Amino acid sequence: MAKEVTLSGCAAAAQAVKMAKVDVICSYPIRPYTAAMMELAKMVANGELDAEFIHGEGEHAQLSVCYGASAAGARTFTGSSGVGVTYAFETYSPISGARLPVQMMIADRTLDPPGDFGSEHTDAMSCRDQGWLMGWAETPQEAFDNHLINYRVGEDPRVMLPQFVCQDGYFVSHLPGKVTLPDQSQVDEFLPPYKPPHALDTKKPVSHGPQIRPDQGVIMDLQRAQAFLDVPKVIRGAIDDFNRIFGRRYSPFVEEYQTDDADVVFFIQGAHALTARHAIKHLRGKGLKIGLVKLRFVRPFPTEEVAEALSKFKAVGVVETSTSYGGAMRGGNLLHEVRAALYDAPKRPLTTSFMAGMGGEVIPLQEFYWMAEVLAKAVKDGRVGKYVYWVGFEQAA
Amino acid sequence: MAHVHEITVWTRGVVKDKEGRDVANALAKAADKEGRFTQAFDNYVDLPDRVNVPVRKYARISDEEIEMRYDYENEKPEVVVVVDATMVKGMNILRGMNKGGVLVVNTDRKPEDILKFIPNKDLLKAIACVDADGIAGTATVDFSGSEGGVDAVGLGAGIAAPLLGAVARATGLVKLENLAAVVKNKEALYRGHEQTVVQTIN
Repeated sequence: MAKEVTLSGCAAAAQAVKMAKVDVICSYPIRPYTAAMMELAKMVANGELDAEFIHGEGEHAQLSVCYGASAAGARTFTGSSGVGVTYAFETYSPISGARLPVQMMIADRTLDPPGDFGSEHTDAMSCRDQGWLMGWAETPQEAFDNHLINYRVGEDPRVMLPQFVCQDGYFVSHLPGKVTLPDQSQVDEFLPPYKPPHALDTKKPVSHGPQIRPDQGVIMDLQRAQAFLDVPKVIRGAIDDFNRIFGRRYSPFVEEYQTDDADVVFFIQGAHALTARHAIKHLRGKGLKIGLVKLRFVRPFPTEEVAEALSKFKAVGVVETSTSYGGAMRGGNLLHEVRAALYDAPKRPLTTSFMAGMGGEVIPLQEFYWMAEVLAKAVKDGRVGKYVYWVGFEQAA
Repeated sequence: MAHVHEITVWTRGVVKDKEGRDVANALAKAADKEGRFTQAFDNYVDLPDRVNVPVRKYARISDEEIEMRYDYENEKPEVVVVVDATMVKGMNILRGMNKGGVLVVNTDRKPEDILKFIPNKDLLKAIACVDADGIAGTATVDFSGSEGGVDAVGLGAGIAAPLLGAVARATGLVKLENLAAVVKNKEALYRGHEQTVVQTIN
């Protein structure tokens, strides 16, 4: 029987990984993802989970251990936060290039300086071009679900790619929320065992990751790129099955809230969508036609779905929570993707971005109200005032 | 937006960390049983803790959904619980409190002795003193529930239990029987409830 419990995002991730019957776990502590490993270590120690639990010497070692274990046919799990994520950077492309479906949890933390535990998406978003799937959870429940969905998609023979399964540090990782834990039988029905086609085997020796010539490299790049083209259809299939087996109602890529008659929307990924929903409820009470579009996967970026969803509106405010210093839009990363997705759309909304929740600051209701005012003014003026607003540091809407 | 009752627990890092967390967790769990909306969590920004440093744990209880779930701290606590009495001295433990709050202290001293150390005692409606150390005899040390982990040894086996009894007595915020349903040392909970000395101030 499925049961409802109260868990932090970290503890929810650990429960999912346990129910996925992971074979090899490699840990190294860094806040705020640490509790996921605390939980898994307890499960292995008390015999609840039959897995190898390996202490890495650092994040680079964590990923290297999982690289080898995955090549040998093990379902693997690792994780990190903030500068831990960037410390392991070298390993990301070799793992996706080897087409090994390693799963890594990221509970976001700001990159230094000078050392801030707050959640900002820049740590994970910096790794978005390394050939890994990537998406955020809004709640501990969604974190739990995303770990299972990502194993299923990443290990699909049409995909064979690693996955960053992200949740905001503290807001999701540390604050307990209600989580419905499924039956093991439901998880087993959804997630078949991991069977890599070319596992390392002493009886049938094969080479993984040898040095190659430039003309061989391009083929591997092309194959990785083509695999990404197949991912959306695999995600759709996995979400259909997930919703059926677990009784959820996820959209594969973009989730809409209060958008039916909306003029303006927030476009957002991760934890702050929760506060945004409350803000929208109050703003609608005052007569503003506002809604929310939540992104569930940023890699692969669902270009068509985003274009279709957003072209219905007059103005879109991208709530960023990450930076791209000196980027085309001078703000975060998501606006680049949104504008690129909309470029060929027959009808394009006005777009702007809000640097909000930076450094791990809470985005209060009032800041969402302020952002809504900016969007309403853009609609009235027929143009956006700026491409980037640092919320809380601007004079007026 | 419904009113959110904020409860802040002051305790000391590592040695009384779990006891403080237990107070917050048990209050939220007991209120959960009453069908209310709750949160309980460690103060994130001043962790990870060190031995004996002042740390805070928070609980929130509301009759409607809590909209600002992500606020790092309880800005306006209406109940403050102090797990180690030495912390009343030299620190503004009532920070943010509006007039009419309640202070619960683990001490074998009388309320008037404790109030001497609290310059902003005018904020208080009442103070409650309970000798939680004397009643429970021990502080539980366990780290499984820290950093968003799941508590592995259960709530309220140590001094948190009588403190929770005192909170129920002084505030009526949650029902004693619901606390009894979530706390391990029920006898200590009831004794704390009985033996708490409450002094009304304003």
